Amino acid sequence: MAIQIVMDHSGDTRHHFDTDDVEAVAAAERRFNELMFAGFTAAIRNASGDTMVTRAFDPTAKETLFYPRLVGG
Amino acid sequence: MWVPTLSAATRRLWHFLLDRVREVQARRARYWERYVSNCEPEARGLKLLREWLSPEQRAQFDAERYFDVIGCHSGKRYRIRYGSSANVDELDDAGVPRTGWCFVPNAYLVAGDVMLAQKIALETNERAALAVANRFPRTLPSAPAFTMVRSRGF
Repeated sequence: MAIQIVMDHSGDTRHHFDTDDVEAVAAAERRFNELMFAGFTAAIRNASGDTMVTRAFDPTAKETLFYPRLVGG
Repeated sequence: MWVPTLSAATRRLWHFLLDRVREVQARRARYWERYVSNCEPEARGLKLLREWLSPEQRAQFDAERYFDVIGCHSGKRYRIRYGSSANVDELDDAGVPRTGWCFVPNAYLVAGDVMLAQKIALETNERAALAVANRFPRTLPSAPAFTMVRSRGF
């Protein structure tokens, strides 16, 4: 199982999907692309806990976090 | 003669107290439900933040309500304080806040989410984060130096 976490006003919304299920992975990729188009940034963590920003959908990523575009406050 | 009257009065008093206790318990339960539902986004944000912090950052945040990150490009140390705006400080070599930076997600998010977005931005793309950020001084300007006027002696 993998998870996509999208930050929102409720804290976050979590989308779990089975990485062996072709349709679920396709849906996750569609969600990834929609969020990228909306200006979100995607970050993934590797096994050692290091965070990386990614611009392409990685079907092997266990955990992907999306946060909205940053602006000056 | 008085005994039956007293026992009846005691029973009524006992029922009255029980009703009041049940009423207070019900009110407390309603209040708690409302409190938890209001705080849930905040709690979820903090939970997510703690999941993504390194063990050192998590320990620092639990103790101080702030954590330090290292900028990926400059190697500078930044302190992210609990909050959702004007909460990032650039530290000098002595660990003293010198410059404040303000950059936030362009949608309403709870404080934990804002802090996590700031952490990831500084650790993975510091230049881009600071390019959009507003900068503000963290130290008050020093007081002007007045020259002492020597009073003329008589």
